[in-house]
Amino acid sequence: MAANNTTVKLDRVSKSFGEFTAVRELSMDVRAGRVFGLLGPNGAGKTTTIRMIVNITAPDTGTILLFGRHIDSNLQNRIGYLPEERGLYKKMRVADQLRFFAEIKDLRGKEVESRIDDWLARVKLSEWKNKRSMELSKGMQQKIQFITAVIHDPDLLILDEPFSGLDPVNVELLKEIVLDLKRAGKTIIFSTHQMEVAEKICDDICLLNRSQKVFEGSLREIKRSFGRNSIAVRCEGGDGVLDDPTLVSKVVRHADEVQALLAEGADAQTLLKRLIASGAVIGKFEMVEPSLNDIFITKVTEPA
Amino acid sequence: MKKFFSVLKREYIQRVRAKMFIVSTLLLPVVMSLFILVPAIILSIETPPTRVAVVDQTGRMYSQIRQALFNDQQETDTQNVNAGAQRTTSPRRSFSRFTLEEVNATSQSLDQIRAGLDQRMRARELEGYVILSPDFLSHGKADFINRNPGDVFSTQVLQSAINRATREQRLIDAKVDTKTRQDVFKPVELQSVKAGATGSQQSNSNAGFAVVFGVGLMMYLAILLYGQIVLGAVIEEKETRIAEILFSSVKPFTLMMGKLVGVSLVALTQLAIWGTAFGLFAVYGVMMIASEGMRANIPSLPFIHYIYFGLFFLLGFFIYATIYALVGSMVTTAQEGGQLAMPIILILVVSFYLFWPVSRSPDSPFSFWVSMIPFTAPVAMVVRIVTQTPPFWQIALSLLIGFSTVLLIMWVASRIYRVGMLMYGKRASIPEAIRWARQA
Repeated sequence: MAANNTTVKLDRVSKSFGEFTAVRELSMDVRAGRVFGLLGPNGAGKTTTIRMIVNITAPDTGTILLFGRHIDSNLQNRIGYLPEERGLYKKMRVADQLRFFAEIKDLRGKEVESRIDDWLARVKLSEWKNKRSMELSKGMQQKIQFITAVIHDPDLLILDEPFSGLDPVNVELLKEIVLDLKRAGKTIIFSTHQMEVAEKICDDICLLNRSQKVFEGSLREIKRSFGRNSIAVRCEGGDGVLDDPTLVSKVVRHADEVQALLAEGADAQTLLKRLIASGAVIGKFEMVEPSLNDIFITKVTEPA
Repeated sequence: MKKFFSVLKREYIQRVRAKMFIVSTLLLPVVMSLFILVPAIILSIETPPTRVAVVDQTGRMYSQIRQALFNDQQETDTQNVNAGAQRTTSPRRSFSRFTLEEVNATSQSLDQIRAGLDQRMRARELEGYVILSPDFLSHGKADFINRNPGDVFSTQVLQSAINRATREQRLIDAKVDTKTRQDVFKPVELQSVKAGATGSQQSNSNAGFAVVFGVGLMMYLAILLYGQIVLGAVIEEKETRIAEILFSSVKPFTLMMGKLVGVSLVALTQLAIWGTAFGLFAVYGVMMIASEGMRANIPSLPFIHYIYFGLFFLLGFFIYATIYALVGSMVTTAQEGGQLAMPIILILVVSFYLFWPVSRSPDSPFSFWVSMIPFTAPVAMVVRIVTQTPPFWQIALSLLIGFSTVLLIMWVASRIYRVGMLMYGKRASIPEAIRWARQA
């Protein structure tokens, strides 16, 4: 892959805190103009990785290239970062607050004022412009925090659990904004352990577990490599068939249907035949792609 | 550098705009003016003169007493001089004015006189009377019969006047001539003259002490008032969880310096407002005193000294403010921080005691070293400048060491802060803080 297509390149990056290794030998490429999902369970090393990318901490070993250059504080101005640990100055008015966050990204002057108005309108908070942030609801504060990360029009936007605690309407609103930014050619790193959200907006993903990379690639490829071994079944009777370990390795029962994961060597046709033979009445039998959630759980619970 | 000013500007404007700041800034001068005005108003309330009769059985004391009582005030109170036996005066303050009258002690017996005077007291024509027995000059004991023994001021003024009058009369009786009598009471004047100074150039040791005390007190007050605010400002981003966003934009050192300088400017703004108000009161006070005929002493020191005092005040303020910033970088809440900073602030209090050894020998090696150590320099160097101004290079070196130390402490604090931020909710122990500062 050409270097000019890569916004962030990590090469065998490691970081330890005392005895504890937070990130071990991590290499990954974040391609320009795409949404890159940095996924993993809690404590996998996602936040440490991000902090190294935004130059809050330096890696012990390995190199990080940002826009093809070694990171320094000037490049920080081209990054927008919404950390998982985030807040606002409680007593500061919304507009003053946004102006301050723009200033520390070296964005000053009239330009800032029009951007503040535009962004507030976009997240539907225009009438809150001169309110103190402590008067805002948590969801509103979260949208203001989101604006602090994008107000300086960064080329790289890093969002760490951006939607946690938001209601579905606002999740949809921010998701649209993220996709708009992607269409405008921005690169987005999206860190989460909520697979449903990641599945909907990520082009590429990198799964971290216990400080190491489990896999990396485009979402398409990953799903394809997992194969179609998941089947959604809605039927009456035939329970014994689904419990046969030679056919089905795992059964997840939802409200009105069952998700069955085929055992190794078994195929869907055999399962269907056995179900019919057992006299089950089948309402639905569909081969589905594994969800990112399934892949995540499978990979994370796999013995290392 | 621009980011530094952005941080500084935010810190300053947010704080100066806060209601608390405005209220406290205005409240102090108001309270101060009340403290000055209310007593002045109370004291200026006109009270009628204290009417006192003197029964002088010695026959030669009355005129002496009258002279002693009224002579002191002649400079300030000339328009009130009445002819004859009765004169009214206002010695210094109006709370003890007197009207004096002589009672003829020869025509009547003492009991008759007393009965008559008691009668007049009951009729509120007199506040009291003094009886001087014929042999008063030998034993010096007299009675002051009065309606209001609680009026200690009048009693005291009267006693001191009679005292002076008696001393004078005894000398006259001993046939001491007028000139000798005046010479005996002439006060001594001890002038302390700076070595090597020309005769006209007097050392201003009292003024010097006042200046040292003033600079020190200002420093102490400023630290006491603003140290905790510096601490709170450093912790603010940790408590509001903004630190991580900031550190993706600003270097920790820039952030810390912006905050320190921002809060300090807030402090200086408030102190300047208070100082101006205080200055106006002081000028008003000096004018009041001057209008009463007293000379007000304004310390006359070379102008450059005032610049030095300003610089060492700033040094002292910053040195101790950075200690609070350092503590702030280690703790997670302001309450924890206050206790941690206190022992260090005690150094400032202790450094006040350096006034005595340093002023006694401003040139000693001891004085030199304490005026170079950043934590004691602000007091020690000011003492040296006032008593025996050291060479310029020493003053410059002391300032250089001091302000470098400020930067060094802030640098260490910013490193501790950064590592501490990455480990939320954990308070650093001292060894941990040292390790963090090294590894960041």
